[in-house]
Amino acid sequence: MSKIIGSVEIGTSQAKALVGEASDNGNLRIIGMASRPNEGMRKGEIVDFRKVASSVHAAIAEAEKMSGTTIDSVYLAQSGSHLKGRMLHGSAYVSSSDNRVTTDDLERASEEAHRRQAGEGRNYVHFVRTPILLDGQVRDDPVGMHGKKVDLSYWAIDGDEQSMRSSIHVISNYNIEVADLIVSSIASATMVAGPDLRRAGTLVIDLGAGVTDVVLYRQGFVAYSGVIPVGGDHVTGDLSMGLRILERYAEKLKLEHGKAVPDPTDEKEEVWMVGDRTIGDRSVSRKAITDIIHVRVAELFEIIHKELGDLLSPEDLKGGILLTGGGSQLPGIEQVASKVLGMPVRKAGFPPGIDPELAQPENATVLGLLHYGLQDHSLPGQRPEEAQAGFFGKIAEMVGIKP
Amino acid sequence: MKSRTKKKSEPSTWRDLLPNSSRRPASKTAMRKRSLSFAKSALVVICLGMVGVGFWWGSQRDVYETVLLWNKMDEPVKRVTFESDGVLDHRWFQNWFGPLRDRTLMQIDIDDLHSELIKEPQIAYAQVRRIFPSTLEVKILEENPVLVVRLGKKGGGVQDWMISADGDLYQGVGYTRQILSLLPSLSISPKQLQIDPNGRGYRKLEGISFVTPLLELARREYPSIYRDWKVVSYSDPQGSGPGSFVKVNSGKVKNIRFSPGNYAAQMKRLKYLLLEPDFRRQPIIESIDLSHNRSVFAKL
Repeated sequence: MSKIIGSVEIGTSQAKALVGEASDNGNLRIIGMASRPNEGMRKGEIVDFRKVASSVHAAIAEAEKMSGTTIDSVYLAQSGSHLKGRMLHGSAYVSSSDNRVTTDDLERASEEAHRRQAGEGRNYVHFVRTPILLDGQVRDDPVGMHGKKVDLSYWAIDGDEQSMRSSIHVISNYNIEVADLIVSSIASATMVAGPDLRRAGTLVIDLGAGVTDVVLYRQGFVAYSGVIPVGGDHVTGDLSMGLRILERYAEKLKLEHGKAVPDPTDEKEEVWMVGDRTIGDRSVSRKAITDIIHVRVAELFEIIHKELGDLLSPEDLKGGILLTGGGSQLPGIEQVASKVLGMPVRKAGFPPGIDPELAQPENATVLGLLHYGLQDHSLPGQRPEEAQAGFFGKIAEMVGIKP
Repeated sequence: MKSRTKKKSEPSTWRDLLPNSSRRPASKTAMRKRSLSFAKSALVVICLGMVGVGFWWGSQRDVYETVLLWNKMDEPVKRVTFESDGVLDHRWFQNWFGPLRDRTLMQIDIDDLHSELIKEPQIAYAQVRRIFPSTLEVKILEENPVLVVRLGKKGGGVQDWMISADGDLYQGVGYTRQILSLLPSLSISPKQLQIDPNGRGYRKLEGISFVTPLLELARREYPSIYRDWKVVSYSDPQGSGPGSFVKVNSGKVKNIRFSPGNYAAQMKRLKYLLLEPDFRRQPIIESIDLSHNRSVFAKL
C-alpha cells in the first residue's frame, strides 16, 4: 500500500507545497505541487503570521487539489539565521562479556550525545549522525563486531523556540501534522548531492531569497551547516538603493539583466527599467547593475569562506562545491564563488527521473524534504520509528500497542 | 506523528513545540477546510445516529426481521395462501394467476396483482402481501349475490348472472347449484338491461339497492318465507308514489306486493297474515298487497 506524504517549504519569497506518493518498494512519485508568493517573511523568519498562513495554506490546498488527495502530515523545512549547529559527542563501553557490540551499546552512546540541552529559549531541530567509531575506527555498522568502546557524534542544529513555533503553527493551523522538521540546507543537499558526492566531500550552497543555507559533507556525513542572513532579496535591495528605483523594478532588472561577473561590453549597454519607454521609465547602465550585484555576491561568498574557515579544504571536498536555490540561476555566480572560495564551483543538477518542470534549483529544498524524510535515519540494528497512521494508529498508540 | 514519553535527560526538541490544541484558522483556506471537516464529521454523526435510530426502530417492529431476511429475497415463491369469505378458493386463484415459474416475491408486482383482483366483479375487496422469505398472501372479500337473472346468450342457450347488493351484474364463479337455487330470480324487462360500453357485461341496475334491504331482511329474519320466494320484480323502487313497488312471486303466495321503504313493518304484517288460520289453510294464495300504509289487501 502506498503512502501519501507532503512537504512544505516556507520560503522568504515563495511558499511551496508538494504531495508525493511513496510506494512500498521505496519509489517516490510526485503527484501534486503548488507555490504561492509569500509576503509575510523577512530573512527566512515569519514577521506576519496571517500572511504566511494564507500563502502556505493556499499552496497546500492547491497541491492537494492537483494530486486529488489530502495529506495528513508534512515534512516541513526550517531555515533562518537563528539556526546554529554544533557537534555533540557520546561514547559507551561495550557491555557484553564477549566484547561484541550490541544495539544497546549504540543507544547508550546516542543517549549520552543527546544529553546536552540546547540552551534557554532554544530547541533542537535536527540531530544528524556522523560516522560511528569503534575503538577509533570508522565503522558503518559495528553491531556484532568485537571492540571495547563505541563513539558516536551528532551534528545538532538548534533554533530559536519562537521562530520554530511559528513555522509549526502555520502547518498545524491547517489541521495537518508536522511529521518531521528538516533543516532546509540538508533537504536541498539530499536532492542535489548524491551519496557518492557526499562521501567524496561536498559543500552545498542554497541561495534563497532571504537567506543562504550552507551544508558541508565529509565522508558522507554532515560536518557543518549554517545559515547566512544574506539572499537574493539583499541584491534586490542593493539595486533599489544604488539605482534609486522601486524594489519591484530592481527585482525585474535583476532577473532580466542581472549577472554576477562584470563584463567590458556592459559599459556601453543601457537597459530600460520598465521597458515600455513611457513617462517614468528610464534607462540604467548595465554595468551599474552588474557591479552592484557582483559586490553583494562576492561579499556573500566571503562570509561563507570566513564561516567555514579550515573546513574548506580541497582534500576534504573532492566532490566540489554545488550551488542551488533560486539565486544560483544568476549568470556568472559560480565564477564569483569559485574565485572567492578558491575551489571549483558548479551549479547543482538533479538526479535523473525527475520531471524537468520540477527539477529547478528553487525546488531543491521542497523535493529534498520528501527524499530525506522517507529515508531511514535510525541507528544500525535499531528498528526505524514509524508513525502510527490514522485514527486506529492513534488509539493503538494511546493504549500502548506497538507493532 | 512520532510522540513518545520524554525522559528527564532528553533535550528539548521541536516536538516539544507542537501545539496541544488547534487555534482559530488564520486563513480562509484553513477556515474552509475546518468547516468542511466539521460538516463531514457532523454528517458521519448524523448517519451513525440514523443507523442507531433505525436499529432501535427496527427492534421495536418487524422491520429488523425484514432487514435480516433481505439476503433471502432471491428465493422463489414456495407458498401462496388464499383466503376468501365466499365461494372462490385456492384452486380458482391458481387458475386465475397462472403458474409462478420460480418467480421471487420481489418479481411479483403486488400492486398490479391487487388492482387486477379488484377488477374482478365478484371481488369486492382484496389484500395482497409479501411474507418473506417465500410466501405470497392473498385475502379477498366477495360480493354477496342477492338475486340471479337468467339471460340468453348470443350463440344460443342461457347464462345465469349474479346481481350484487348494489346492482352489479356478474357471471358468478364457483356458486353451487344449491346456492343458486336459494337465490330468487329477477324478472326484468329487456329495456332495463343496458350493455356496458366497456364490454364488461351489463351496466349496474340502479334500482336494486332499494330492493336489497328487503331481500336481506327476509333472508336474515324470515328465512322460511324467503326460501319460498321465486321471482322478484320491481318498478320505480326509488320513488314513493302508487307506481313504485317491489313484487315477489313465491310458491305459496303467487304475488306479494311491497312498497319501497319500511320493509320491516311490511314483513312483520306478512308473517302475521301467513300465520292466520285462514291463510294457513290455503295451499295457494293469489295475492297479498302490503304496499298500502295501514291496510293489507289479500286475495285468497
